Amino acid sequence: MSPAPVGLSLKVALRLLATSGLAVAGLSGPVWAQQKTITVATHYTDEQMRPLTACFRRYEAENPNIRIVHQQATFRDFLQTILTSRIGGRSPDIYNVYSIWGVQLVSNGVLAESPADIIDFVRREYEARTVDAATVDGKIWGVPAEVSTYLLVYNKNLLKEAGYSAPPKTWDELAAMAAKISKADAQGKLTVAGYAFGPTPANAVHPFRTLLFSRGRSLFTEDLRSTNLTAPEAVEIVTKQAEMFRQNITNASIQVRDFPSGSVGMMITANWFKDTLRQGLGDKFESTVGVAPIPGGDDWRTYQYSFYYGVDARSPSKPEAWRLVRWLNTPSEPGKRSCVGDMLMTMGGLTANKADIMASQAEVNDPFTRPYVEAISSGRAISEKNVPQASEIEVTIRGAIEEAWLGRQDPQRALSAANAQIESILREAR
Amino acid sequence: MRMLSHKAKTAQADLPKPRDATNAGTTAAHARTGRKWAVWIVKYGILSLGAVIMILPFADMLIGALRTPVERLARPPVYWPAIPQWHNFIRAFTDLPMLAWLTNSVIVTGAITVVQLVTSALAGFALAKYRFRGQNLILRIVLVAQIFPFFLFIIPMFFILRYWPFAGGNDWLGQGGTGLLDSYLALILPFAVSWYGVFLMRQFMLTVPDELLDAARIDGASEFGLFWRIALPLVRPGMVTLGLLVWIYHWNEVIWTMTVTRAAPELQTVTVGIQLLRSEFFDERNQSLQQAALAVSVIPVIVLFLCLQRFYVRGLSMGSLKG
Amino acid sequence: MTVSALRLNPAKMVTQKTAPYLFLVPVLLFGLVFFALPLVASLYLSFTSWNSLVAPRWIGLANYEHLFTRDPLFLKTLLNTLVFTVGVVGIGVPASLLLAGVFSRSRYQALWRSIYSLPMVTNVVAVGFIWWFVLADPWGVLNRLLALIGIAGPAWLNDPSTAMIAVVMVFVWMHLGQNMLLFSAGLGAIDESLHEAARIDGASEARIFWSITLPLLRPTILFVLITSVITAISYFALILVLTEGGPVNSTNVTALYIYGMAFTDLRLGRASAAAYVLLVVIFLVSLLQLRVLRRGGVEAY
Repeated sequence: MSPAPVGLSLKVALRLLATSGLAVAGLSGPVWAQQKTITVATHYTDEQMRPLTACFRRYEAENPNIRIVHQQATFRDFLQTILTSRIGGRSPDIYNVYSIWGVQLVSNGVLAESPADIIDFVRREYEARTVDAATVDGKIWGVPAEVSTYLLVYNKNLLKEAGYSAPPKTWDELAAMAAKISKADAQGKLTVAGYAFGPTPANAVHPFRTLLFSRGRSLFTEDLRSTNLTAPEAVEIVTKQAEMFRQNITNASIQVRDFPSGSVGMMITANWFKDTLRQGLGDKFESTVGVAPIPGGDDWRTYQYSFYYGVDARSPSKPEAWRLVRWLNTPSEPGKRSCVGDMLMTMGGLTANKADIMASQAEVNDPFTRPYVEAISSGRAISEKNVPQASEIEVTIRGAIEEAWLGRQDPQRALSAANAQIESILREAR
Repeated sequence: MRMLSHKAKTAQADLPKPRDATNAGTTAAHARTGRKWAVWIVKYGILSLGAVIMILPFADMLIGALRTPVERLARPPVYWPAIPQWHNFIRAFTDLPMLAWLTNSVIVTGAITVVQLVTSALAGFALAKYRFRGQNLILRIVLVAQIFPFFLFIIPMFFILRYWPFAGGNDWLGQGGTGLLDSYLALILPFAVSWYGVFLMRQFMLTVPDELLDAARIDGASEFGLFWRIALPLVRPGMVTLGLLVWIYHWNEVIWTMTVTRAAPELQTVTVGIQLLRSEFFDERNQSLQQAALAVSVIPVIVLFLCLQRFYVRGLSMGSLKG
Repeated sequence: MTVSALRLNPAKMVTQKTAPYLFLVPVLLFGLVFFALPLVASLYLSFTSWNSLVAPRWIGLANYEHLFTRDPLFLKTLLNTLVFTVGVVGIGVPASLLLAGVFSRSRYQALWRSIYSLPMVTNVVAVGFIWWFVLADPWGVLNRLLALIGIAGPAWLNDPSTAMIAVVMVFVWMHLGQNMLLFSAGLGAIDESLHEAARIDGASEARIFWSITLPLLRPTILFVLITSVITAISYFALILVLTEGGPVNSTNVTALYIYGMAFTDLRLGRASAAAYVLLVVIFLVSLLQLRVLRRGGVEAY
């Protein structure tokens, strides 16, 4: 998931134009006969990619027969872009794959199987729980990269103003506090939301998951044929969220992205949001932002997902691509970070690469990031088994939750309709 | 076929003269003048209100393009920028591949316009000025085809271009490469013919007198010569009309171009470029730049249109009404 | 025509008899490759299950069956399409007719025409985003203006009960100028002496409008109605930009649903089936309108 960028830069297009011209020249001219172009597709902006781009150039200098091109697509368009470009016969060689897309990409033969040395490398150098996210049908499909997990983020000043010195521990506490924090104008319009949600499927489904996990339930049933959406815990969670909309403590207009403007009291959000918050708040970041466990009681749990670098099954340069992936994820010398680790740390992301974590104690220990790292290392951050058509399923769940939030449907009914739809999607995908 | 009179008639007594009221002796005249004034106020009231609604969103865009990120992040956000940030319009060119986008838009739209003018004029001439077997069937197809919605063609066309034999590295079975998808042709070919354009040109060609063509035939002109030297010059206004319609439509096209160029950024046009950046634009700090980019995408077409609008008006009525 | 004739003199081959066919070659080729072939191909695909990455699998009528029996969203999008169509035609056509009425009797027509044409020459992405800013809640210019007069504006695009209204509003705004110009061209074609005669007979302006102008304008009205309805049923570009079908599918129309089905979920067979269903709807509506049109005494071209 992409932190919102500051500098917009799509010079990619121009660069791609230039390099694809070169690629054509490479096919025809004898001088370029050895040249291979490797395209790396990610959802990161040029700004975020800068450390990695520098590494690309270094790699090219060390390997004169390789050219590396970065193909960028925004996160919302990423899956659609790789799928349409692939059915269009033009696919990148390396993908930065979002773990929930895994099954769909694997079952359609998009991803290449990892060679044995990569599998050894991943098993040895990465935390086991994150390796699970890159695993489909018992096989590892790439090298884990960005790890994300969710916690409660709150505005210290707004909490203090409302007379609270500590963040809530349970959802009921949170709802009571949010009610006191929220403010409305003369016309009754909310200007400060005590709690805020967001517009994307993940903004609804992932916080929902953290609360569900905290109640000891997974989202999918053990056999991956159905969901626990109709479980009483699920219905209760959504009912209480909907209650906040009904009481005008939150609404659809004030969203997580409004946090820097001071109009959001609390939200459940991922660690990669740090970059957006830091850019938006500037030097007020430290004094404003607080991070706390998921308000799910003592047994709180949270959700983690990750990205991994995989290689296209049809790539004509698979060995070179895997070599590059491994190089990018290996520290150049002991005690230093790998290229990918360096990039992730710079943009406020997390990694599961043991060497990178060791080399990043300063970043990992800042007050914002440490709780997230601890959530992962303590085992409270759970990644679920990968299901097919996962993004279609997330859209379905988002739809049901939103129906309930906005008071259009009774939570029970909305969730069981979504459950039926998801069962049919899963049945069809088998 | 009778050409329509395009000048909408202006009512004669448009504005009642105040002097009339003072000169008029009878109360009836007073009443009549009063009513005329009421009509005048209602008339221009409606038009002005509508005009404000038309312009307001554009003004909002231009004002928005001049704000600073700080003004946007304030609560409430600042509406009127303290210091207009004119350089946002320059940033639209330096921070975004705006020039490449505009170049692509011009190439694609220009090519489609030229090709459609040629195919439509040729077909329109044939359908209007000849009698031949199958003529009615073709004319009927041209009319009916217009109601087939474009979304029906998106999926199959995508794959027809993808599996185009001997193109983009494909073999004769259309396997192995990208077909035409990686080229401008993917954006141009599916619009090489417009059924509406064929019909419109037929309507214009009907106005070419048969006597002129027959006389030229007797003088030994070839059939293509008739088309090129006699018919085309006579329907030049019609060509401009159609050209303008096609240009506006395809400059603004987004669905097909987005589908094809998703993975080919070097082919993206300005509308698609802005659309695909939308999630970056949800960040408030980028929104002034976004609004500047929108303005840049809108202004060339508005200028073109304002210069040629009389042709557009004629085209609208030709396409809609039978003569 | 024989091969030897061709060899003797190619120019002679183009006679008055063969010329029209030659002139029609580009159109016929195009019709074959980009009209007939796609229609047949998507009809075939509609009976298959296909994700484009592996070969299509024939499943008979299962796609159609799924759409009508197991896909509540499909039916919902059909309903949304109906609401959208009725909305934009029901509001857009009378509004543009009214505007055309006053426009054709006003001075400074070039000025008015320029202003009212602005939206129709603006690309749909720009229209969508321009309005996205205007309708933003609570700081968009519309809700700021409403707040000035003490009204708490709705969340527009974020509220499922107002999102469709907003989308219809923007669509009408976008097409108002075009329809206004069409109507004013129609009005311009009406013989002014008829109006004069009625005025001399002492008929009120309202009466003249109802009894003389409207009946004479019927061809234009029907043309605008038909094209507006067809456009509206198959429309989704603006909605894609403005709401992407949300919130909670309240603006998800069938054409948009089909597009996502095809290129996001890669259900190309089912999307083809849905496209055919929508085509049939458009066909039926067009036939119905043509009947009315014929009864109205207007020959179709």
